[in-house]
Amino acid sequence: MNNKQFLTELSGKCQLTPEKTASQVQALIEVMENLWSNGDSVSLSGFGVLEVKKKNERVSVNPTTGVRMLIPPKLVLTYKPSSLLKDKLK
Amino acid sequence: MDKKINLSQLADMLSQQGGMSKSASEQFVKTFFDIISNTVLQEGLVKVKGFGTFKLLQMEDRESVNVNTGERFTIEGHQKISFTPDAELKERINKPFAAFEIVEITPEQADKLGDVETTTAAPESNSADEPEETVAPEPVEEIKTPQVKDITQKGITRFFLRLLVWIFSLVLIAAVALYLLWPVVGDKVTEFINDKFPGITLVEPVQTPVRAPKPQEIKPNPVVEQVEVVTIPADTTTIQPVVAPDTVQTIVLSKADQDKKLALFTEADTVNFRITGTLAAHKVQKGESMVKLAFRYYGSKKLWPYIARYNKLTAASQLIENSTINIPRLAVK
Repeated sequence: MNNKQFLTELSGKCQLTPEKTASQVQALIEVMENLWSNGDSVSLSGFGVLEVKKKNERVSVNPTTGVRMLIPPKLVLTYKPSSLLKDKLK
Repeated sequence: MDKKINLSQLADMLSQQGGMSKSASEQFVKTFFDIISNTVLQEGLVKVKGFGTFKLLQMEDRESVNVNTGERFTIEGHQKISFTPDAELKERINKPFAAFEIVEITPEQADKLGDVETTTAAPESNSADEPEETVAPEPVEEIKTPQVKDITQKGITRFFLRLLVWIFSLVLIAAVALYLLWPVVGDKVTEFINDKFPGITLVEPVQTPVRAPKPQEIKPNPVVEQVEVVTIPADTTTIQPVVAPDTVQTIVLSKADQDKKLALFTEADTVNFRITGTLAAHKVQKGESMVKLAFRYYGSKKLWPYIARYNKLTAASQLIENSTINIPRLAVK
C-alpha cells in the first residue's frame, strides 16, 4: 500500500476530507518528531513502540578494499512491534 | 525525557497542533496505526510519506549454534515487521549528530583503536535477508580469538620489556649516584660491607691505603723505614703476597724502632707528647689542612694541635698555599 492508498483509506475511516487527512498526518508526524527529539518514546498498545535510539560509533571495514572507516554515532528511529501484533505474525 | 507517550497523550498533543477535537484526534491516531498494522499483515507493505515504510519480512529457516553448548539447532522461519524511516525524517532525527562524518582510518590509528571491525558483519547481515547467516558465525569467531590472543601476548611482552628497561635504568642511576657520592659515603659503605660480608675483600685493597695511614707515615723518615720494609719480606717471604699482613708488619717494625711512637699514636692523646724539634718542613699544597698533615706525618688526625702550636697558628686559621710549615718532631712525655 502506497501513500495515496493509505491516505484515502484513512480519510474514509475517519470521515475527513483527503486534504484534512493529509494535514493531520503531517501534524501527527510533527508531534511525534518533537517527542523523539526530546528523547521520549511513543508507545501504542496493539501497535508497538517507536523510539529514537543512539547507535555508538564503530569501526567498519570495506571488505573489498580493506579500508577501515570510523562510522560516527547516530540517532536512529526504531520500531518494535507489540507482542499483540507479533502474535498475528506467522 | 525518556517518557513513554501513550495514545491519549499523543492525541492530546495532536489536538493542540492540528486543531481537531480531542476525541477526533484520538480516533484519528488510532485508525492511523490500525491501518498500518492491518495492512502490513495483509499486504506486507505500507508506505507513509514523511514517516516511513513498514514491511513484512519472511525469514527462512536457518541453522544456528548454541553459544554455551556448541549444539546446532534450526531457527524456524518466521515473519518480521521492519520499519525504515523516511530519508527526510531520518535526517531530521539525526540532526544532533549530523556534524559527524565517516572518517577513513590510517593503519596506525587502527592499531590504537584495536579490532572492532568484526562486529560490523553481524548487524548488516541481520538487516539483510540473511539466508547465508549459518556460515557467518563460525568464521567470525575464528577470526576473533587469535586477534585477542595476539593482543594479550603483545601486551605481556611489552610489559616485560618495559619492566626490564626500568630495572636497568634504576640500577644505572644507583650506580652513578654511588659513584658521585663515593667521597662522602664511601667509608661508611665499605665499613658496612666489611661488617656484613667479611669474605668480600674487593673494596679493601682500594680503601686501606687511603684510610690506614701507616704506609704514608713512613715518609718523614723514609730512609729508615724503607729499609725496614725491605728487610721484612726478606725475613718472612711467605707473607709477602698478602697486602694486609705486610702493612701490619711495617707497623710492628716501626713501633720497635721509633721509640714506640706508633703504638702511642693509636691511643693518641694530645697531652702525651712534647715537641723535641723539627721533623720536616712542609710546603702547603692546595686543599691541605693541619688535620691532614697530622694524619700524614703522625698517622693520627688528633695530633694536629701540635702542628698549630709549633707554627703559632690558631685552630681557625687556614693554611696558606705554598707557604712552608714546620712539622714538629714528637716524643712521648
